Amino acid sequence: MSARVRKLVMFPVAFAFVAAAWEGYKAIGPANGGRLLGMRLLPRTNSRTMPHVWEMVSRLGRPEVRGGKQTILSVVTAATWYSFRVAFTAFVIGAVLGVAVAVLMARFRLVERGLMPYLIMSQTVPIIVLGPLIIGLMAYGSRDLVSKTWIAATLLGVFLAFFPVAVATLRGLQSTPPASMELMDSLASPWWRTLSKLRFPAAVPFIAPSLRIAGASAVVGVVVAEISLGIRAGVGRLILSYGQEATSDPPKLYTAVFGAAALGLVMALVVAVIDRQMMRRHPPEGV
Amino acid sequence: MDTAVPNPAVVVSGVRKVFNRGATNQVDALIDIDFTVQRGEFVSLIGPSGCGKSTLLRLIADLIEPTDGTLVVNGKPAHQARLDQDYGIASQHSGLFDWRTVERNIELPLELKGWDKSRRRARSAEMLALVKLSEFATHMPWQLSGGMQQRVAIARALAAHAELLLMDEPFGALDEMTREHMQAELLRICSETGTTVVFVTHSIPEAVYLADRVVVMSPRPGRITAMVDVGLGRDRSELTREATEFFDRVTEVREALRGTHVGDPIMGVDDR
Ligand SMILES: Nc1ncnc2c1ncn2[C@@H]1O[C@H](COP(=O)(O)OP(=O)(O)OP(=O)(O)O)[C@@H](O)[C@H]1O
Ligand SMILES: [Mg+2]
Repeated sequence: MSARVRKLVMFPVAFAFVAAAWEGYKAIGPANGGRLLGMRLLPRTNSRTMPHVWEMVSRLGRPEVRGGKQTILSVVTAATWYSFRVAFTAFVIGAVLGVAVAVLMARFRLVERGLMPYLIMSQTVPIIVLGPLIIGLMAYGSRDLVSKTWIAATLLGVFLAFFPVAVATLRGLQSTPPASMELMDSLASPWWRTLSKLRFPAAVPFIAPSLRIAGASAVVGVVVAEISLGIRAGVGRLILSYGQEATSDPPKLYTAVFGAAALGLVMALVVAVIDRQMMRRHPPEGV
Repeated sequence: MDTAVPNPAVVVSGVRKVFNRGATNQVDALIDIDFTVQRGEFVSLIGPSGCGKSTLLRLIADLIEPTDGTLVVNGKPAHQARLDQDYGIASQHSGLFDWRTVERNIELPLELKGWDKSRRRARSAEMLALVKLSEFATHMPWQLSGGMQQRVAIARALAAHAELLLMDEPFGALDEMTREHMQAELLRICSETGTTVVFVTHSIPEAVYLADRVVVMSPRPGRITAMVDVGLGRDRSELTREATEFFDRVTEVREALRGTHVGDPIMGVDDR
């Protein structure tokens, strides 16, 4: 229990460290940037480029636009929550699909042989081009673009989340201890019962860590899709549009960055809980 | 020879097993294997490491197929006997499932037989008492010592009360005291239930103490070189281990093993 409390305390502590480093550099760094090894590497510390942390935080409480009613906190929260729902949906679909495809590949050698090259090839496509591609394929000429881009963002998240889960599950299913397989054979266990009673549970230590990667990938996929497709509701879009206001309202951009960070963090927490639940019955590491 | 008795438990005839046939790493594991195990009989298989004892057991269990020859188990082809779950098996490696509690590991064969939960729980409790692990029913296997894990695997093999038990060095990881206790328990169960056992071991005294008949094997290619009838009767106790007949049989088996290796030390066979 105390270990869990310690882990939770870690978050504010880590945040405080980043804030302190930010303010520390801001205090000692060159106001107009500087050269390092002959290159302009050091960022400027003036308040246009690096606003104070408390300015960013206080910006959260003020309205999004001058004279508007909604505080920026509620706008960013709503956008983050929207993106989280999309990313989580993508994560769940991607993970389920990944496991399903891996089971098929484990069952039929032919499916594995036929599918594996495409799977590996698919991961070499730069994701930034995929969003418009998906939109182009499914909504060409349609006016109802908002719902379609929502689906496109989900698809991109699914696409990225699917791969690590499929590969890890397949590896897990293929590394069942032969002695255990023989035991199930000696009990005349049919293939699917061997899968549910032995091979799948034995693959869980492979699958659980791949879910963490899948969660992070789903977030990346969805945010990238939001940025490249211009989805109004998501946090990716906020980063883009607030970035355009960086000269007039510097802290604003960072409120959206907070939202994106929170999105990744919440996803990581949710996936960590799933991971723990899955590994509940397995020996802890080092046993 | 003893095929005249109706419906023996195991009949192995003309069995040969070649691994990786035709490849450079071809292994002639077994050759000319003929033997019969009568119902209710306890047969020990002994021989130096690598002579094919586990291979022979896995052939009887239909986990691998013979290159030549036939195996009949419970009056039917070995394959059918496996599908009918006619035997219980405890292999050299305990092979417990990490994610199942001790009792649920023991219940695995019963689940596959379609027993309902209360019946399974009752049987696993009975088996746990037998291997003296009742307090560990809800522990996970990785919380147990190696010897305790092996006892769970034995309980699992016994759980379905199969008529035929195939055991591959099941007591290998146990200390001397537990080993002797388990040997006595195994003999008691077998005589009470009339179970047939094929028992692979490295230990000559263990082979003799347990068995009605000891099958002695030689390596490369593995073949049967001698059959020693133990003839100590069915009532065996701690006194049996000190009887002169017992030592005579131990000597007989040892000499049979020596005969297979003139002058060589016997690799992998325990004299203790
Ligand atoms: N799956 C396999 N593929 C190839 N060779 C095998 C296989 N299984 C066993 N062998 C070979 O068959 C021979 C007999 O092996 P087996 O495991 O039956 O020996 P064993 O008598 O049980 O030995 P031990 O007492 O050490 O357990 C060995 O030479 C081994 O290398
Ligand atoms: Mg062996």
